[in-house]
Amino acid sequence: MLRLERILGYASDAGMAGPLHALEHGGKVERILLSGDDMLRHRLHVVTDRGTECAVALPRKEKLGNGAVLLLEPERAILVQLERQQWLTLETDDPASALKIAYFAGNMHWPVRFEENRLRIALGGPEQHYLDRLAHLLQDGKVRRVRDA
Amino acid sequence: MSPDGSRSGGDAARVGIGGPVGSGKTALLEQLIPRFIGRGTNIAVVTNDLVTQEDAERIRRSGLIAPERVMAVETGACPHTAIREDPTLNIQAADLLEDRFRPLDLVLIESGGDNLASTFSLDLVDYWMFVIDVAGGDDIPRKRGLGILQSDLLVINKTDLAPYVRVDLQRMVAEAKEVRGGRPILLTNCATGEGVDAVVQQLSRDVLFD
Repeated sequence: MLRLERILGYASDAGMAGPLHALEHGGKVERILLSGDDMLRHRLHVVTDRGTECAVALPRKEKLGNGAVLLLEPERAILVQLERQQWLTLETDDPASALKIAYFAGNMHWPVRFEENRLRIALGGPEQHYLDRLAHLLQDGKVRRVRDA
Repeated sequence: MSPDGSRSGGDAARVGIGGPVGSGKTALLEQLIPRFIGRGTNIAVVTNDLVTQEDAERIRRSGLIAPERVMAVETGACPHTAIREDPTLNIQAADLLEDRFRPLDLVLIESGGDNLASTFSLDLVDYWMFVIDVAGGDDIPRKRGLGILQSDLLVINKTDLAPYVRVDLQRMVAEAKEVRGGRPILLTNCATGEGVDAVVQQLSRDVLFD
């Protein structure tokens, strides 16, 4: 298992971009795909997109971020990439329903975003689990699910 | 290992133990401590209680670990507030233990007994497990509490009691697997230590990396 114990920099750093670009052309950049939650961790047992098993053990003062470079060698680089967040978007024009659904989401400790008359829930598991919990609020049609483009 | 004997990477792994009141969190802790010490893991413990230091005193008096390696956090409110919304007290306790007993490998942080929705902040821990017990009812997993869904490891404790409380353990495990989407589940009887070695192995693999 490959131990990765420091953030060397970020892919966007001036000093990193050149070497990474060259390695990328040779197919020698491996990525660790992480959810937003896992990005908060300091210790992770993960496998890169090319199958390298890694033990990430960062000092507690360091924080992972999208593009964090954990390994940069002449023949290989490993960097962290944030997985695309999946959202469940709900829409309503009824103020009472808006209050109910916002209260419910808060009570469930779901991370959300508000966008005009839409509530976007950041999914942390299977979408169906969320829809099951929301069924009582969706059944009368005042709150509608909106498919993201 | 680095020259000073600590694990490379510097800081100790921090593992949370959460779960409902009476599910066996402290009993699991009592089973984990000698196993980790026995395998050479340098550990310390933080316990959480509402307004007492009951669990910390229990661990200190157990003789399993040097008492000064056990710190108590009195949450004074809902236990989950101290492990999720504002884990400052627990972070400070873990930092203090790390400073005092460096190089530590592992800090185990036991939450106060809570409900099925309790979860740990990943600012506080690197990994957390949720302990439920069969006597709480075999419908617990399918109620899909956040602790059941989101924990890195679900521990179903008191498996020996299943026949006495009319629990279908097989179904309970099957439903837990269904809602957890492949995340690990382990069965224990912390009264005897049955199944605890597997918990140690899981933590060793996932956060200690050995």
